Order: sequence, then structure tokens, then C-alpha cells
Amino acid sequence: MNYKISVIMLLICVPFWGLSAQEIPITGTVTVASDGMPLPGVTVMIKGTNQGTSTDMDGNYSITTNQGDVLSFSSIGFAVQEVPVNGQTTINIALVESMQGLDEVVVTALGISRDKKSLGYATQEVDGENFNLTNEQNVLGSLSGRVAGVQVTGASGASMGGTQKIKIRGVNSIGAGDQPLIVIDGTPISNANFSGSDQADYGNLAQDVNPNDIESVNVLKGPAASALYGIRGQYGVIMITTKKGKKGPKKVSVDFSSTFSVESAYNFIELQNMYGGGSSQTFRTLPNGQPYVDMSVDESWGPKLDGTPVRQVFSFYPQDPEYGQLTPFVAHPNNVKNYYNTGTTFNNNVSISGGNENTSVRLSFNNTQIEGIVPNTNLDRTNVGLSVSLDLNDKVTVSSNINYAGNKGRRPSQGSEYGANYMVQWFQRNVDMNRLRNYKYDDGTFLHWNLSRPDSNTGEITDFEPLYWNNPYFEAYENTSDDYRDRFFGDIGVSYKIIPELEISGFVRSDMFTQNIQSRQAFGGTRVPSFSIGKYQNKEFNYELLAQYKKSWEKLSLDATVGGNIYDREYTYLSQATVGGLSSPGFYNIDASIDRPEVDSYLLEKQIRSFYSLVSLGYDGTFFIDASLRNDNSSTLPDDNNSYWYPSFSGSIVFSELLEWEPLSFGKVRASYAKAGSDLDPYLTTPFYEVGTVYNGTSTLYVPDKLNNPNIKPSFSNSFEAGLELNFFNNRLGFDFTYYQQKNKDQILDLDISGTSGYDSTIINAGLIENDGFELSVNAAPVKINNFSWDFTFNINKNNSEVVELAPGIDVYTYGSTTYSSVTSYLNSYEGEPFGSLVGQAYQRDEASGKILLDDENMPLYTDATHNFGTVLPDFNGGFQNNIRIGQFNIAAMIDFQGGGQFFSRSKMLSVRTGQDILTVATNDNGMNVRDPLEDGGGVKVTGISASTGEDVTAYVDARSYYRNVIGRRIYEEWLYDASYVKLREVRVQYNLGEKIMEKLPFSTMSLALIARNPAMIWQKAPKGINPSEISTGAQAISWYESGQLPSVRSFGVNLNVTF
Amino acid sequence: MKKLYITILFGVTVLTGCSNFDEDINTTTNDPSQASGMQLISQAELWLPGLSSSPQGEFMAQYLAETQYVGLSLYPQQSTSFYSWYQGPLADLQAVLNADDLTANEGPIENQLAVAKILKAYYFWNITDRWGDVPYSEALQGVDDFTPAYDTQESIYTDLFAELKEASDMMVSGNLSNDIVYDGDMGKWERFANTIRMIMALRLSEVNPATAEAEFNNAVNDGVFISNDDNLFFQHLADANNQNYWYDQVENDNREWWALTESLVSVMKPLDDPRLPIYGNPARDSDEYVGLLFGEEDNIGTEEYSLLGDAIYAQDAPVYLLTYAQVQFAMAEASERGWITGDTETYYNQAIESSIEQWTGSTEEVTDFMAQSEVAFDPANAMEQIATQRWVHLYMFGYEAWAEWRRTGLPDIMVKPNGVNVPTRLAYPDNEAFNNETNYTDAVQRQFGGEDSIYGTLWWDK
Repeated sequence: MNYKISVIMLLICVPFWGLSAQEIPITGTVTVASDGMPLPGVTVMIKGTNQGTSTDMDGNYSITTNQGDVLSFSSIGFAVQEVPVNGQTTINIALVESMQGLDEVVVTALGISRDKKSLGYATQEVDGENFNLTNEQNVLGSLSGRVAGVQVTGASGASMGGTQKIKIRGVNSIGAGDQPLIVIDGTPISNANFSGSDQADYGNLAQDVNPNDIESVNVLKGPAASALYGIRGQYGVIMITTKKGKKGPKKVSVDFSSTFSVESAYNFIELQNMYGGGSSQTFRTLPNGQPYVDMSVDESWGPKLDGTPVRQVFSFYPQDPEYGQLTPFVAHPNNVKNYYNTGTTFNNNVSISGGNENTSVRLSFNNTQIEGIVPNTNLDRTNVGLSVSLDLNDKVTVSSNINYAGNKGRRPSQGSEYGANYMVQWFQRNVDMNRLRNYKYDDGTFLHWNLSRPDSNTGEITDFEPLYWNNPYFEAYENTSDDYRDRFFGDIGVSYKIIPELEISGFVRSDMFTQNIQSRQAFGGTRVPSFSIGKYQNKEFNYELLAQYKKSWEKLSLDATVGGNIYDREYTYLSQATVGGLSSPGFYNIDASIDRPEVDSYLLEKQIRSFYSLVSLGYDGTFFIDASLRNDNSSTLPDDNNSYWYPSFSGSIVFSELLEWEPLSFGKVRASYAKAGSDLDPYLTTPFYEVGTVYNGTSTLYVPDKLNNPNIKPSFSNSFEAGLELNFFNNRLGFDFTYYQQKNKDQILDLDISGTSGYDSTIINAGLIENDGFELSVNAAPVKINNFSWDFTFNINKNNSEVVELAPGIDVYTYGSTTYSSVTSYLNSYEGEPFGSLVGQAYQRDEASGKILLDDENMPLYTDATHNFGTVLPDFNGGFQNNIRIGQFNIAAMIDFQGGGQFFSRSKMLSVRTGQDILTVATNDNGMNVRDPLEDGGGVKVTGISASTGEDVTAYVDARSYYRNVIGRRIYEEWLYDASYVKLREVRVQYNLGEKIMEKLPFSTMSLALIARNPAMIWQKAPKGINPSEISTGAQAISWYESGQLPSVRSFGVNLNVTF
Repeated sequence: MKKLYITILFGVTVLTGCSNFDEDINTTTNDPSQASGMQLISQAELWLPGLSSSPQGEFMAQYLAETQYVGLSLYPQQSTSFYSWYQGPLADLQAVLNADDLTANEGPIENQLAVAKILKAYYFWNITDRWGDVPYSEALQGVDDFTPAYDTQESIYTDLFAELKEASDMMVSGNLSNDIVYDGDMGKWERFANTIRMIMALRLSEVNPATAEAEFNNAVNDGVFISNDDNLFFQHLADANNQNYWYDQVENDNREWWALTESLVSVMKPLDDPRLPIYGNPARDSDEYVGLLFGEEDNIGTEEYSLLGDAIYAQDAPVYLLTYAQVQFAMAEASERGWITGDTETYYNQAIESSIEQWTGSTEEVTDFMAQSEVAFDPANAMEQIATQRWVHLYMFGYEAWAEWRRTGLPDIMVKPNGVNVPTRLAYPDNEAFNNETNYTDAVQRQFGGEDSIYGTLWWDK
């Protein structure tokens, strides 16, 4: 059966069924009954349909109706009013502040608009303007703290749109692959991420939505809310609704917004400025007796920075003006900081929207140009969006949303091994960044700081190939990483209203992108010159058919929806990399590969076919009940076991309708249950071999390390949630409380098994992971007087997870591991414990006293890498969002916070190991520097118990041996940090030009704003220089170790908004 | 209207009615679903140099001293994983042994199976000699056993002898194609199998001399290596895809991290050993061969010491694994032990000659070299001399030299920096304590009283 043709035929056949009927355009103004002020943002709906609009800044609206329609006007904090059209063409309405409760309309799964009060599960909507407060470079970052139960972990702003990871209600998958589905105007879009844990962070792809296009974002948190998305919605759904043009009397409006901001790096690890590069406090000397700085050492355990004239590395380059000269050996306290530039971001957005009686159009264009804080990094991003809707007659509407996103980036490397992030880890405090900036001499020789020592006979350096690290500017300008992406997503659809109560609609939705990535390693650096290039193409189609029936009787209301969906994905890539070097400098091409290049061509195909239905019943606006059922058939599951059903039930009672208690404006209890499922990636059910290295014409194949499983089935989650919504005092104070419980069973996981089985992991269905927790959201408008108002939203959530069960015979699951200097640490999950325990080397301690055990040289002893330090997940997180209006000023400030959680910092560990950290020049309690000789009273004081004698020991040990060989290398316990923080994330101070001025200007509204993004980390428990809110490393789902984090970036700017 | 409902119903049925997808939609085209026996065997052969190429092995035998991060050569108590051996070559070889679709296109199926058996035995022998008891009889069973029990080293040895004999017995006439190490020469494979048995038998000299002697003679009678042409070595290529580990370290990563030890240079330099210019380069500042004291920590200048020889880190250097000289040294030792009849001195001299030929490609300097009193055979000192020269010969296969040192305690020239002794085994992988807890704990308990230490002694190490 060729389903595609059938669907397309359906889509073509259906629309022209209808007959035309008389349409009546209606316009009007909505005001506040108490003071007569215009009321913007009022939802105007034709009752019993999905059609609607909302009022503009001046309270005006326009809508096309039919004879006999009833208009419903709703806005938060106001009572809903319903007005029959009855031949009127102008309907002006004054809304009364509500005594009754919220009659908010929200967009739920599959784009179905529902009265919020009828929902039996938690949803939290974020208004679109919150995504434009300060121009976050990755729009998903703006969600942080705004929705209870949603945790966003980001990357540094230096990545210019780096990864922002979203977790809804904790970790729900043992394999941690639990990213929510992102849906824009009903079209699921890819949130793939091409980043690894080092090199460039390209960010997750959901950032391709233009923030200026966002009307609202609704987060479907639990499986009950997202049940209609089946397999793809198990981990929640982020539904983005974009702005649209409005139908009605012909009208066009143009919005223009322009933002300019400057970015700077801050929050550096505190480094010492007393000792320079080297491994001993005495200088090495040349044959002629001149002392020189040991350029072969990438550590700062060297001589005192006391201004002694010495030969520094540049004095060995014959091309250098200071060749052969002695220069003072002094500290360059800001050498790391000086590397970073002041970045700039320039963003312009124009949107044109308008419409007439039967057409609405909105066209938007956005361009962002970023110069990053890391030298030679930049991003150029363009978004174009078009949304149109056309009523062919009074029954048939065709509509389309088409979005283009283009990104062209040259991004910095993250992680320890690439780029310049090594500088806090391995460096000399005496290196002058200003000397390194001109990294290339006129004759083309590169200046590096880390070279082999001079010849002991001639005193000259002849080999200028860097030893371990390149000049950071060489990294920036020669070892570049470029990426560009073109993407189209959107939909075309028709809806046909057969009878007023029944509408069927069909959509073809698509998301297609081509991601190109290339990177270079140049001649003259530490690495073998190389070039790699990859082209990754994803095509995703959704064919959707939906029938909706809505009917209200006296007291009873019925909503019923049935539908079907075919999801079809094709993903291909071709990636290539040179091997063994490049044939000529400056020629970056696969053709230049010295040896047989690495080539990988790949094809992935996947289909899911689904059927779903939803029935909602309401009684008297007070009692509501919903039931839904979805069937998914996934091509990635075994043939005979690929069809599954997922039910959900929910109900709510608006009890404030039953009580007559004045202070309570609105009260609702709700409860829901849902079962959701998830499938797996393709090709994991049948065995195959992998292609090995070709040896002299002999081809080799090998058995993959991952063992596939032909008996896999979908995993299921059963979730229950209950909630209470209370609004008091005319809705000026509101609480929304949710308790939830989710059991994820038969997880499909890539379980690490003993390698002695012949495999390192296997795909199995196993385990049970339970999450429960609460979410509380408080809305309040404590001050609301004439020229001054303050309102805020406070969100907090706490999640408890427990890995109840893994696989039979397996009680540990290793999610990830990292090895450095032969020391490994793990992120493990243990049966009966919360998800994600950090496991690594700890101090050996005396069992009775807990004191550290010391060896015979008084150095601490350490365990092997099996010590469990506990979960890395936070105890709670949330946000505090404030909006203050003073006269013409609007002030918005967003704070987000996290309590608990932990991570391991390799940057901090290495800054200590290499003698750069300020800790390594501390003064001990003898009043001496810890680096002073032990016999003079120097050394690090160590207390503990001698392992061999059992005696208490207090002793001083050599600082370098202690920090470099023991603490900074083997004892990870020392470098674990609590991830708690409170961060001021966004501030916006906006001035709205008053009416009097506006009358003289050709605009209808105009505002100017000062913005600040990440202006301050208000408090963090971890030491300065490591940002616990930015420990995301690429696509890794759980952040648990920091390694070469890019510096934190703060941004200040101005924003101009004009509407014509 | 009715027509419309029918259309909807029809549409929904089309959309969802079938859970039958195209048959091949979930079968990857990105990787092959079939593999030939020799493709898997040659892949397992690519792992051979990895048995030798590792700084850790060189430290165990004190061939190399670290110039940079001396902590590593001081044997920190840490685990070493054996997983890659099981997941890598052993899984590939097991796939050949389990296959029901082998074809004779690349040579007789029996011979493919024999080679797979021999290589499997060779890898397991290396593994058990490093760690002790390891999963063997229950290992490599994939889904049938995720937590294989540890077999005792004794039972592994017993089975390896049997497997190797069986492999020789099943060979038929006809050579193999696509064989990287022996170019399909079944005579060499058979001699290789017997030579493994010979050296394995020698390993039991202290724990069970009777079995050792019997198995040694069986192996010799079945036919061991007859010249350097039979050596098992892996030839790297001047191609980054197949290059020497040390080339990557020294040439690509600029690591001057390893110098020849003072112990090694002090044995070789006074004798003007013709192998020394191969083993190491003269120190840059003095142009002399200078060894670095193993474990020395103070501010080491790499220009002052002999670093790895150009020939050792060449991109296409060979890696020697089981050699004719070892056979001769074994014969010398067996003769000294009275297991065989023959002249110890002859074997000893032939061993050194084979070694020099192997390393330098020439035997010209052998006579002069052997004439020196320090190296000329001295019956009163035979065991010590054999062990010392075997240690010199096994350069860069530190793990094998370390095994011989553990067995014999010779040559008695190992230094103890900060009083730290040479370890006597490798510790099991950390994650074996998570992934295979019960069996791991049992094995550690029965061998070492509960402590998975690098100072536990193996069964044959008495």
C-alpha cells in the first residue's frame, strides 16, 4: 500500500468539499471595565472552534465570523465574556476583573486549543516576549528557570549558540537519552546535536527557531500531557507557537527590532603570580652562562618571578627583535584573560504582518552577527519565516508555515585538548600574551611558547616544532573549525469544517537540514596536519490527518479528536578525514591525504505509523474528564513486536465553582495517569560486522563491541500526577502545585557488560527507574497601583530519582567514564540509589576516625576508582522572574538557581597540579610559602594517620610532589564541587515612548531597552572560575565533569523596538 | 457526508493499519552483514603489536625509564583493563570458531579454524600471564553469559596445551590467503603453535617441573621454530593507518618521554653490543649512550640521555613477539635443567647469534661480540647468563621479559626506586568490580586473599 499517495490524495480531495457561507468581519476594542484602559493580549475566540485572535497593544482586534457565531473574550485575571455576533460588525467590550478564575486558552498536544481550566495535567506556558528579553544566543536557554520542573544546562556564551540541554522532571531514562520533543506550530523538529565533548560546540538544533517569531511556548511536562505524541513524547514536549498575521479588516503592521551588545569573558580561576614556568626553582643555564626559562615545561613550578633578566622563549627565535636578549622574568597576571576579546552581537529583526477578511500573512526576517570572545570566532545566523492562512470559503482554510534558518559559524573549541582552554591547565605564569598575539614572523615561522630545550652545546634552538601545546593564537587562526547549516521546516495544511462542530484537517510537515562541518589542523603545530569534512543531511516528514468534533449542550461539552500520523525520517551523511598528514601546506582537501583517508557514508531510515484518539467531556464548566489512546508502530522494533498502545486518563474539578468563598478566585484539583513508550535507534536488532583497517590490500572485518538484541521491545513509563491550582484576591496571587510520580520500566539501554563476554555493552530492556517530585509555581502581583506595578513568578521543583532495578544479575550501570593520566572516573547508577553517582578515586581513610591515611612519605593514600561520591543530580532548581513597571519603564529580571548536584572539575585539578592555581603558593602556618624548602619551614601541612604505624601524623611535605603527583593527579575527591548556584541570568530595562512623543513620530509604538545577559553569578558554591551552570559538554546528556570549560561570558547591550 | 466518513476511515486505516514495514528498513546498509573467516582472522592479527607496544610493559621489565611523568613508571596501584583483548581479537576469533558459513575461498576451512584456535590460545596465554585467573571457559559467549566465571590459571594452561595440539592436528594441506603475519604458510603456523607450547611449558618450570618437562619435550618433538624466518612479528607499514605505536608517540606527539634505562645501557654498552644502536639513540648533548636511572625524578633533561632508537620508533618498524632466539634460549635453559640432551653453550651461542641477526640483519659482529669474557658462556653462571641475554633480546616486549623475570628472578638487576618493587601481576579492570562482581570477588579471594593488588603472585610464579 502506498500510504504517501493516499495521504496526499486525502489532502487534495478534502478541502473543496465545502460550500461558502456569509462571512462577517468584526472589529472592536477591549478595555478594562474598572479604568477604561485598553487591554492587550486578550484572546478572542469563536466559541466551539479553534479559530481566534488576540488584541494588539491598543486593545484592538479583528476577526472574521459567521452569522450565529459567539465570540468569547478571555484574559488572565478577567472574567470571560461571550457575545453573540448577531449581525454586528463592531463589538467593543469592557472586561471585568475576574472573580471566577482563569479562562486561559492553551495549546495542547497536536495543536489542540483547550481551556486551561479543563486540563487534568500540568502545563506551563511562557509568553513569547520572554524569549526576546536579552537575545539569548540559543533560544532554549531562555527557558531556564521559567517553568517549574524544567532544568536547562547550558554552555558558555563563547560558543555562540552552544548546547542548551533540557531535562523535564529529572532523569527518566537510565541511558539518559531523555530530551523532550520540540514542536513548532505542530511540526516536530530535530533537536540533534553534532557536538562531542571537545572541539566545537555547534549547539542543539532546536535553536533554529527565530526568537522574535515566538508567540508562546507551552511545556507539556508529563506523559499525560504528551500522550498524544506517543513514542516521541515520552520525555515531554516543548510546544512553540509562532506569531501569525490576523484576519479581519485589511491592516498591515511592521515591527522592527535591533539589538547591539558587547560580550566579555569573566569568572577565571584564580592563578598565582609568584612562580614562573619550569620544574625547579633554579634556572637552567645556556653554555654561555645565561639563565633561561625552561620552555619544555608546561607547568609553573619554576623559579620566583622576581624580575631576574633571563632568556625567554622568544629570545631563541632568530627572527625576533629580542633574539639573544635577556628580559625580566616577571608575572603576567592576566595572561589567560588577555587572550579573550570583547565580543559583539548585532541583531536585526523585521516582521510584517497583516491580513484581510480571508487572508492572514506574517513574514519575518532576522539576522544575527556575532564576533565571539575567542579570537577569530564568529557566527552569522539568518532566519526567514513566512506564515499564511487563507480561507478559501467559510469551510475550507489552507495554511502554511515555512521557516528557513541559516547558520554559518567559526567556533572555538571546548574541552581540554583543543583550542586554548589548556591555558588554565598547562601554562607558564610568565608568558606574555601580548608577545604571543603576533604568532607568525614575517618569514612564516610560527612563534610558540612550548619548545624542546636549546642544544646544550650551542645554546640555540633549531627545532621550533611545539612540544605539547600550540600558541593559542595559532589554534585560533590556523586550526579553525567551520560549520554551516541550511534548514527548512514548516508545514502546509488544509482544514475543512464539514459542519460547525466537525472539522477535519490534514498536514504535511517537514524538517530538512544539511549540516556541514569542517576542521583543520595546520602545518607547524603539535598535531599531524589534517583536514576533515562532513555533510549531514536529515529529512523528516510527518503526514498528519486529524478530525475534531466539538459540541456544547446546556451543561455538557464534548471534544473528540481522532487522527493518524506517519513519521518518515531519512538521515544520511558523508564524513571524511585525511590520514597521515597533508600533501602541501595550505591545501585543505581530502585529496591532500597522505594515506588512505577515513571515509564514512551512512544511511538511516525510520518510520513510525500512529493512530490516536482523544475524548474530553466537561460538565457545567466544573467537572472535566479526558481519555486518550495512541497506537504506534515503529520500524526500529523487531518485526513481530512493533505495535504498541498507550492510554492516558485525566480529570479535573474546578471546585471554586462549587464554593462561594470570596477570596478564592479560582480553585482546581486535577489528576492524571498515562502510559507512554519509547523505541530505539535503528539497526539495533540485527547483527552485523564493522569494517576494519585495510592492511596492504587485505581487508579486515570485526565483531562490533555492542551486542544487538533481536528481542527488544519498547520501554514503558507509567506516570501519575495530581495538582492543585489556587488563585486568590482577583487572581493577584496564584499557586500551582503538582506532585508527580513516574515509573520508567523496561528501559532500552546500552548496558555495559563485562568485556570478557566479548562485548562491551548490549542493548537490553531492563530496569525500573522511578522519579517523583513536586513543582510549585507562584504568581503574584503584590503591587498594582497607578504608575507602578510589580509582578513575579517563582518556580521551584524538586525531583527524587531512584534506580529501583537494573538487569538481572547487574546492579551497576555505567553511563559514562573519563580517563586522564591513567586515572578513570565513572558516572554509575546503582540499584536502590538515585540516578548518576560519581565514582572515582578518594582518600583512603581510617575507618574509625575518618582521618586520611598517609604513606611513609606522609603523602595521602588513595582508593582505586570505585569510591561512590553520590549522585550528580541537583536536589532542586527553579527561577524567579520579576516584572516591574514604573511609569513608562518596564523592568524584567530573571534569576535562576539550583541547589545541590555535583561535578568533577579537571580544570581546577590541573591548575593545581601544574602549580598555576593560587592554592599552590599559599602561606602555611609557619608563615612560610608552601613552596619554600621543607628545612626552612616551607611545605604543605598534612595531617592524618600513618598507614604503616597507625600513629597520628602532622607533617610538612614538598608542595610540588604533593600537588603535582598526588592531590592534583590521583585524588578526585579533592576536585568534586557542589553545583549549587544563584544566577542573575537576564535583566532588561525598557523605556516606552509616551503617546505625546509618538504622535510626532511615524511609528505607532517605540521602545528602547538596556539589556544584560548573565551579568552576574550572585552566588556559587564551587570556587571562582568554574561555572556550575555551564558544565554542559556537547551532546553528553548528563553533565558531571568539567574539563576545559570555555570562560563565562557576560553581555550588555541596547535594544530598539519600533512598530509602524 | 457518508462518503466523507468513509474517506476518513479509509485514510486512518491506510495510515495505521499496517505494522508491516519494508522488510529491509531496519537492516543496516552501513555495515556488512557477512564476514569471511580470513577477514576476521586478519583483523585479530592487527591486534598483535598491541601485546607488546605499551610503556607499561617496558617499565615492568625496566627497559625504559620515564623522563616526564615519573609517577607512571613507579607502578601506581591501579587497574589495567583486559577488556579490549576479549572484545577485540578474541571476539573476532570466536566468531570464526562459531561460524557455520565459512567457505574455502580463502583456503581450507580446517586451516582457518586451526589458525583461529592458535591465535586465540596465544592471546589467552598472554592475558593469563599478566593478570592470573581470568574468564576463559565461560568467556566470549555474548548474550549467553554476561558474567563469565574466572578459570584458574592452571586449568587455562592445561586447556591451552590441548587446544594448540588440536589445532596442529586438524590442519590439512593447502595454504590460506589474506593472512597478514605468516602469509598463509601452514607449516609456520604449526611451528608457531608448537613454539607457544614450548615457552608455556618452560613457564611451569617452578610450579610443576614434571609437567613442564613433559610438555616441553612434546612441543620440541612436534617441531618448533627452525630459523628467524619462522618468527612471529608484526610488520608495521609506512602508512598512518597501520603505523607503529611508538612512531605516533615520538614523532607525532613529540614525546621525549622514554629513555633507555641505566640497567640496560650498563649491560650493553661495555660490550659494544651491536644491538644498542638499534635499541636507542646516543644522547644529543654527548653523542654517547647514556642510560637513565629507572625511577629518577629530578629535573631530567632529555638531551642528556639515550632515547628510543630511530629503528624502534620508525613508522614501519616490526614488532617481535615470538622468536627463534627465544626458542634457543629455552633450549639452553632446558638443557641446563636436564630436560633435554644437548649442549647448553651451543644453544646459548645460537640464541645470541639469532638475536643479533634478528635485530641488526647481520651476523658479522657476532664473533667479536661473543669473544668478550662478560658474554662468553660460563657454565658456572649459565642460568644467570641465559636470563640476562634473554632479557637483552626481548627488548621492547617488556611484558614477556617481565614474565621470564617473575619466573626465574633473573636477571637480578632490577632497581627499586623509593623501595618500590617490580609488580608481580596487573590488577584487574576497575569496572570488572561493577560488571562481574561475584566472579571478580571470588577470583581475587581465592588467589590473593581478597586484595586485587599488583603484588599478588600468580600460580606459576613460585
